[in-house]
Amino acid sequence: MTHRILQLFPELTNVNGDAENARVLARRLEWAGADAEVVPLTAGEPAPSFRPDAVVLGSGVDSVLARTREALEPLAAALGDWVSQGVPVLAVGTGMELLGHEIPLDGGTLQGLGILPGMATALPARVAGEIAVRSDWGVLVGYENHARGYRTYAARPMGQVLHGTGNGDGAEGIRYGSVFGTHLHGPVLARNPSLAMAFVAATVGDTIDAYAPGRADGIAEAINAAALRRLGVG
Amino acid sequence: MPGLIVNKVAPGFLGSVLSNFPEGLVVVSGSSGKSTTTKMLVTVLEAHGKRIFTNPSTANISQGLTSALLERASLTGTIDADLAVLEMDEGHGALLSPKFRARMAVLTNVMTDQIDRFHDSEKVLGYLSRIASRATETLVLNADDALLMRLADEIVPPAAPSTEAGSGPTASSPIDAPASRAQESGEVDADDPMSALFAAAHQPLASNRQEDPAGPHVELFGVSAAVLAALPRGLGYAETTPARFGGGTMVTGVSGRSASIAFDGVIHEVGLPARGIHYAVDAAAALAAARTLLGAEFDAATAVAAISAMPAVFGRGEIVTVRGKEVEFVLVQNPTSFQLNVDELEPGLDQVMVAMGSDVADPSYFWPVDASRIGRARIVSGSKAHDMALQLVHQGVQVDEIEPDLPAALDRFLDLPEPATGVKTIVFTADPMRRTRSHLGLAQ
Ligand SMILES: [Zn+2]
Repeated sequence: MTHRILQLFPELTNVNGDAENARVLARRLEWAGADAEVVPLTAGEPAPSFRPDAVVLGSGVDSVLARTREALEPLAAALGDWVSQGVPVLAVGTGMELLGHEIPLDGGTLQGLGILPGMATALPARVAGEIAVRSDWGVLVGYENHARGYRTYAARPMGQVLHGTGNGDGAEGIRYGSVFGTHLHGPVLARNPSLAMAFVAATVGDTIDAYAPGRADGIAEAINAAALRRLGVG
Repeated sequence: MPGLIVNKVAPGFLGSVLSNFPEGLVVVSGSSGKSTTTKMLVTVLEAHGKRIFTNPSTANISQGLTSALLERASLTGTIDADLAVLEMDEGHGALLSPKFRARMAVLTNVMTDQIDRFHDSEKVLGYLSRIASRATETLVLNADDALLMRLADEIVPPAAPSTEAGSGPTASSPIDAPASRAQESGEVDADDPMSALFAAAHQPLASNRQEDPAGPHVELFGVSAAVLAALPRGLGYAETTPARFGGGTMVTGVSGRSASIAFDGVIHEVGLPARGIHYAVDAAAALAAARTLLGAEFDAATAVAAISAMPAVFGRGEIVTVRGKEVEFVLVQNPTSFQLNVDELEPGLDQVMVAMGSDVADPSYFWPVDASRIGRARIVSGSKAHDMALQLVHQGVQVDEIEPDLPAALDRFLDLPEPATGVKTIVFTADPMRRTRSHLGLAQ
């Protein structure tokens, strides 16, 4: 069977390459011997008639936040169902914000879908740079670039910040049911093979060996080792 | 440096130099293409016998302009030129906008990926809006760029010339202060010679220039529907207008290093300094600007010949012979140029080297680029070699070797036997390009 990875609104949510995590996931499945397909959904299209095996919602610039919110609206019920059925969802940056309850903006507050028990918060200033996070999957490494923090309630964060800002309160991201929410933008699943393995395991169960090393894991480890040395995080 | 010293000693001296061009000031800005457009416009104007003062394309416009002024200014403090054509970074131009009036502003485009994601397109549009608001006679705009066209709709008649250096748009403007970007990158400080220059140079323009109370006239350039339809990924603008415009200066075809550009009812064949749609659009922008500036003096054949005679640009598909091997160098400065250049690679190349350097602060930047057409990379190099390789491998590109040491990688790549298909091709970002030129002893 072909695993279908739903990539939400890549035209709005791929500024940092976050939507490419759908491709990363598909590659990982292919390297493990499974069939996988990235199914992009354009803003304005209705929810797909099938239940995807995984969902990737990336991050966009603030000027398209409201448009992305509108595009998510017709999917809200389906997304809520999928999450309750354990379909893994990767939500990055503004994607994580939009799945939460509200986003404070200059001109007022934008309501999110309320699927995640979290909300965006004001940060004193925009943060941009490398970030390292201690997590259940080892130290996660990547880039963050965001103007708001995040507060969770009744949910665990992805981990604790070792370097960088994350949610702004020492924690980073949100883990709620099958949803992985993070500020680590770009190819977070490519950069962090152990997180990708957990995501693949949630996607395919035990039908394939989700913990088989990926073809590019050695490259990711070399990048992360250099980053951790640079950041003085061990 | 001398420029800074002279500006500090006698800012009014240089300011009056700049403000006294008899035919005024032209400012070129936008996310990308401003250097090429500026060079093309200067080339066309010079071919018509005009004496032009322009700034060399450098990252730091202040130093570039100041040293250019110093080189050109005579001992009596005049520059022997008819008009000034200046390229301005959008953030810097916005910062300086209260201090200058320009006869013409040429705005090339707004590209999301150029915005380094620290700013969204609305903020860049705000910068360009400030620059545009200083144009007295003509705004030359890209008709395919929806954000620029919206800006044209919103441009109000320019305010009366300011008499205070600090006047113009203020904090009450809905646009964010433009200083942040330039200050982030350390380009502007209190001693900024260009600020000093413009502070002294903002007196009204020469008397032969007219200021239309209805606001500047808008002159458009762009591409035809057929050209746009043939681009697999569009033009790369943050937002593209839904319909193509009529008239103006229009690219009606592009093939390799030549383009068909229509204006005044005639289609002209124009040679480009490098292949690609963006060079054709830059040429259209330069031709639109030159026609307006020169009026009855404009001669289409002279203009087309001038652009066609421009030398090929290094790193833009130019083929160079190095150590007896033909090598094509391809510079990728942002995701849009990366995508366009990869899309234009000959299929099935079997000798490609890719190098990404420290100029790419966050390699996530390039992940939206589909680089799968590269097919096989013999060596991936540069200080960000592993980051580049991670992307290529995920996009299905075969990566033979990762070698962060660029000189070692270059030597091994050049030593490979002649390719079976095409020529050896090196795709690199700006930092490895500089280091490659230096290592191979190529002219800077
Ligand atoms: Zn910036």
